[in-house]
Amino acid sequence: MKLLTCPLNGKRNISEFTYGGEYHAMPDHLTSSPRDWAEHVFFHDNVAGIVTEWWCHTASSFWFLAERNTITDEVIRTFKADEIYQQRVEFTAVASETQS
Amino acid sequence: MAILDPTTAPRRSQLNQRHVSSHALFKELGSNLVVSHYGDNDSIIEEHSQAQTLAICDLSTLPRIGFKGAGAPSWVEAQKLNLPAMANTTVLQGSGSLVAKLSDQEILVLSDIFAQSKDVFHLSEQAKIYHKNYDKQVYSLPRDDSHCWLAVSGTLASEMFSKICGVDLRTHKFSHSHIAQTSVAKTNAVVIRNDLGSTPVFYVLSDISGVEFLWDCLLDAMQEYGGYAVGVSALQRLTKEH
Repeated sequence: MKLLTCPLNGKRNISEFTYGGEYHAMPDHLTSSPRDWAEHVFFHDNVAGIVTEWWCHTASSFWFLAERNTITDEVIRTFKADEIYQQRVEFTAVASETQS
Repeated sequence: MAILDPTTAPRRSQLNQRHVSSHALFKELGSNLVVSHYGDNDSIIEEHSQAQTLAICDLSTLPRIGFKGAGAPSWVEAQKLNLPAMANTTVLQGSGSLVAKLSDQEILVLSDIFAQSKDVFHLSEQAKIYHKNYDKQVYSLPRDDSHCWLAVSGTLASEMFSKICGVDLRTHKFSHSHIAQTSVAKTNAVVIRNDLGSTPVFYVLSDISGVEFLWDCLLDAMQEYGGYAVGVSALQRLTKEH
């Protein structure tokens, strides 16, 4: 069985993990166009080479990131999401205009 | 011993039907009913001996609580509990309760097996007050409702686990106070080694909706070693040995 190293729990069988899609820097939800937001949410670049991906260790519900070569399926490194996210991401709603 | 009826208790284990059909006798620990032993009173001595070798016990009606979030560790510390320095380790409190650090931002607190510690009750009361000034940094996880709590005890426990768990739980590799969050019998579980007296004990916390499956799997796995279900009285006796 393949093994993957969780940054919190260590090396575990791949069956304990769930793939979470490619990592992309999130666009500003207040200023990005619907097209850019849809691109971020739904579309993958599907690069042949080294990509950064979200993975979840399902036994602990721990989400982390992995750099993986999609050609060789070699995992270069895994790391905690707080290397990128230092603080909670807030989604502030745009104040809606009141109609008279 | 007075015969206690679990149908009158505030909460019952999801395994209650199995306990009743195995002629369980219950004892009151705090406001909770836990299986004391199975069969007649003479079986306590036999179950105590079995718990030293290989046995399983349902502790699911005992108190437990969890907290998650960036502010959770400092908030739990402010409640005068000692936190483990590292994730996936535990610290036994002076009160007898067990504080487990599941990640840098997640804490689990388990009652002692005599249910004498008031830590879980105190934390749940404080959380209610604290959440009136909710600042999104501490999230309560009511583990009573989400996770079953089983104890697998005895010198053969780690050998039994090797059949159903990919993590090496041999006692010289997986020491007292360490935690493995992994898959047990294809079920996600938190395995906490917390020895009682001189006997290795592994607490298994898993999704409460699947506890009947997990209970049957563990009983099946321990059958070849002669293991069987015991009541909490056997575990309590283990704490007296050194």
